[in-house]
Amino acid sequence: MLTVEHLTKTFSNGKGIFDVSFTVKEGEVFGFLGPNGAGKSTTIRHIMGFMKPDKGYVKINGLDTWKEQGKVQSYVGYLPGEISFFDGMTGKTFLDFMANMQGMKDLGKRTSLIDRLQFDIHTPIRKMSKGMKQKVGIVATFMHDPAVIILDEPTSGLDPLMQKVFIEIVLEEKSRGKTFLMSSHSFPEIERTCDRAAIIKDGVIIAVKDIHELQSMQRKLFEVTFANQSDAKSFIESGLLIESHEGNRVSVAVQGNYDKFVEETAKYKIHNINIFTQNLEDIFMNYYDREATIS
Amino acid sequence: MNVTLYKQMMKVYMKSFMNYAFGSAFYIILMFWLYPSIANNTKAIDEMVASMPEGVGKAFGLNGFGSAEAFISGEYYGLILVLILSIVCVQLSTQLMAKLVDQGSMAYLLSTPTTRGKVAFTQASVLTTGLFLIMAVTSIAGLAGNAWFLGDQYEFDTSRFIQMNTAAFLLFFALGGICFLVSALSNDEKKALSISGMITFGFFSLDLLGKISEKIEWMKYISIFTLYKPGEIVNGHGNWVVTSISLSLIGLASFSLAIVLFRKRDLPL
Repeated sequence: MLTVEHLTKTFSNGKGIFDVSFTVKEGEVFGFLGPNGAGKSTTIRHIMGFMKPDKGYVKINGLDTWKEQGKVQSYVGYLPGEISFFDGMTGKTFLDFMANMQGMKDLGKRTSLIDRLQFDIHTPIRKMSKGMKQKVGIVATFMHDPAVIILDEPTSGLDPLMQKVFIEIVLEEKSRGKTFLMSSHSFPEIERTCDRAAIIKDGVIIAVKDIHELQSMQRKLFEVTFANQSDAKSFIESGLLIESHEGNRVSVAVQGNYDKFVEETAKYKIHNINIFTQNLEDIFMNYYDREATIS
Repeated sequence: MNVTLYKQMMKVYMKSFMNYAFGSAFYIILMFWLYPSIANNTKAIDEMVASMPEGVGKAFGLNGFGSAEAFISGEYYGLILVLILSIVCVQLSTQLMAKLVDQGSMAYLLSTPTTRGKVAFTQASVLTTGLFLIMAVTSIAGLAGNAWFLGDQYEFDTSRFIQMNTAAFLLFFALGGICFLVSALSNDEKKALSISGMITFGFFSLDLLGKISEKIEWMKYISIFTLYKPGEIVNGHGNWVVTSISLSLIGLASFSLAIVLFRKRDLPL
């Protein structure tokens, strides 16, 4: 449905994206992960046809997004990373304008989206908070029922409740056979929705992985507080990867081997367990380190 | 041309078009209202102008006060109108393209089933429509002012007055085209504004300097303002047809180039 082939673009400062290739199948949710400045937005700009590739191409539904401007967009919904609207519009006038630009007749979907996201469409856009604007953007992205949906950092600015609503919307659309490409920093968001994800760094795709594989790469840090200090001592001897310990508190790093962790901790009396999830940047760092050692 | 976009843009900018148009109309009517009291003292004023250094009168198009259109051409079309419309050209062209790219709202336009060519053409049409409206309201106000304050008592050549208005419109069509080209190629709103402003102000100054002194007369030939001579039109001198065609061609070429280049360039959206 969406094909990126050998996409290369070098900017004058030497940065850019280099030989980026991946395919998103119909009905798939594809995550696009990477630190800031890695080339996520540049790739998305090419997918939307805002930039001309030096080499390679992007095709949506068989149409080249640079050459076939004006046709491709009718299949595509796009949520920009930086939301900015036109001056002097309210949410309603903006959505009406976009509906006209899309040539939309059926406004039913739009109305139901507005209901679910719960916001006042009559507020002037310049008075809206970031989250409100994001909601307007989300409605504009989905309202014309596009087959392919490109989301650039979709949940930034949304409160946790709305993030949940948003993920529900994505999953519903997915079950209706829609194709997604979603760039993100936030692993939980990708984890809950995506089937596969690509990791990009310095303009190069490092890996395209199944989401379960990525999950197993994610390291979690458990901080276990034992009832007795002696238990903590013997726990440390158990062969788990111990990050630090202090009195009866022990920090354990767990990556995939949850069984062993549960087995070991179950032997003792436990006061408390805290969990710290590793953020994406750290997963990347881990990943790069491993790559480096393999090669 | 994208009709939805055109309507939306006209809705947004109509108020400022009308502000400029009515400002301009008010001023020109004021000029007509003033004319009778000046016409009675024409001789004294002509003498005063003659006593000024020759270049100054020429630079500001002071053109004798023998007829109403000569008075208006000198007092209004020579300076005030040029300033008003230059500001409109520079500001509006920047807002119609560079601002949308700079802010990122262009991304929304281009994510709908339209082409960049159509978007640029529509925005160019909005600019042209705005300039046309301002000039049309000004011309109508001028004709109304003539009928109202001067009647048959004073000389007024309607066809030359209309020629002068057409020439003014074409000058700003050309200037608007150049500013629009700058705007279509800019990613930064402020940069677009300062470059177009510098070009416009530069043209204006070169023309002015070239007219003041014979020695640096060549300067005015770099400027497109040289193709606009309201004083000569009302006196029946000069080649109105040739300058009008040249201005139209400059305008058309700049707008077309802007559209073509906008289609091909990378947008940081």
